[in-house]
Amino acid sequence: MMLSIFSLSLVQTDELQTIKTQEGKKLIISEKIYDLDGNIIPFKSLTEGKVLLNVWASWCITCLVEHPFLKSITESKDVKLIGINYKDQNFNAMNYLDKNGDPYEYSIFDLSGDISLKLGVTGAPETFLVIDGEIVSHRIGEVNLEVWNEKFAPYF
Amino acid sequence: MKNLLHIFKIFFIFTLPIAADNLYENLNADQLKRLDYLSENIRCPKCSYGNINSSNAPISKDLKQEIADLIGEGYTDDEIFNLMEERYGNYVILKTDINENKTLFLIPLMVLLISILLVTTYTIKRSK
Repeated sequence: MMLSIFSLSLVQTDELQTIKTQEGKKLIISEKIYDLDGNIIPFKSLTEGKVLLNVWASWCITCLVEHPFLKSITESKDVKLIGINYKDQNFNAMNYLDKNGDPYEYSIFDLSGDISLKLGVTGAPETFLVIDGEIVSHRIGEVNLEVWNEKFAPYF
Repeated sequence: MKNLLHIFKIFFIFTLPIAADNLYENLNADQLKRLDYLSENIRCPKCSYGNINSSNAPISKDLKQEIADLIGEGYTDDEIFNLMEERYGNYVILKTDINENKTLFLIPLMVLLISILLVTTYTIKRSK
């Protein structure tokens, strides 16, 4: 009997046993943000309407895998896609976009990773859907058609 | 003499890693201990099978730096744990809290006590 109570109390936890996504939180960036060309970006442009934020880097192989899908999404749908260039050299990032095409309206330059860290990013790639400043959908990992249909398509 | 100098240089190179150990210069010994305790008890959110002290993932280094900054700013341990829990969920907190699930901690203790009781009464009975 005791063994059964013990094992029941073991499984009793209702917490999700993975990393929590950032869904339901407000998008907060306290630092000044710049794009890859060094232009300053008003934070307001991220909190107005529907914005798809994609964390990417030129060193990230999974980002390269999801890149064609992101391009096809921006071509076929009315999506405002903004990149966050995570822990990357400016030169490498530019090269990457020249070579593979640039689906992003612009990319936020985050060399130190500080902006992303405070957003709750654990690595690249990650994708946030922000509607009027609130994160409604967050994918940790690659976005493909299946994930898109499940997590993001209902909002478009 | 020249050889001696070379040997000295080699020894000097070997001591460099010791000097590199203290990456968090703005913290005193006490705060470093707290940093160590916190990083031992917060799970790496990326690799998820170790704490951020044992992990080489970039996010772990960033988190450790952030925790060091927070300690420097005067945050308490609980506040830092709460901040991390708020951001990544309860999953990243490796520290166990008895109050969360008391049965889990009490039942093994009870089993131990009961079995000690049973064994002692059994042996006493047999020796008679």
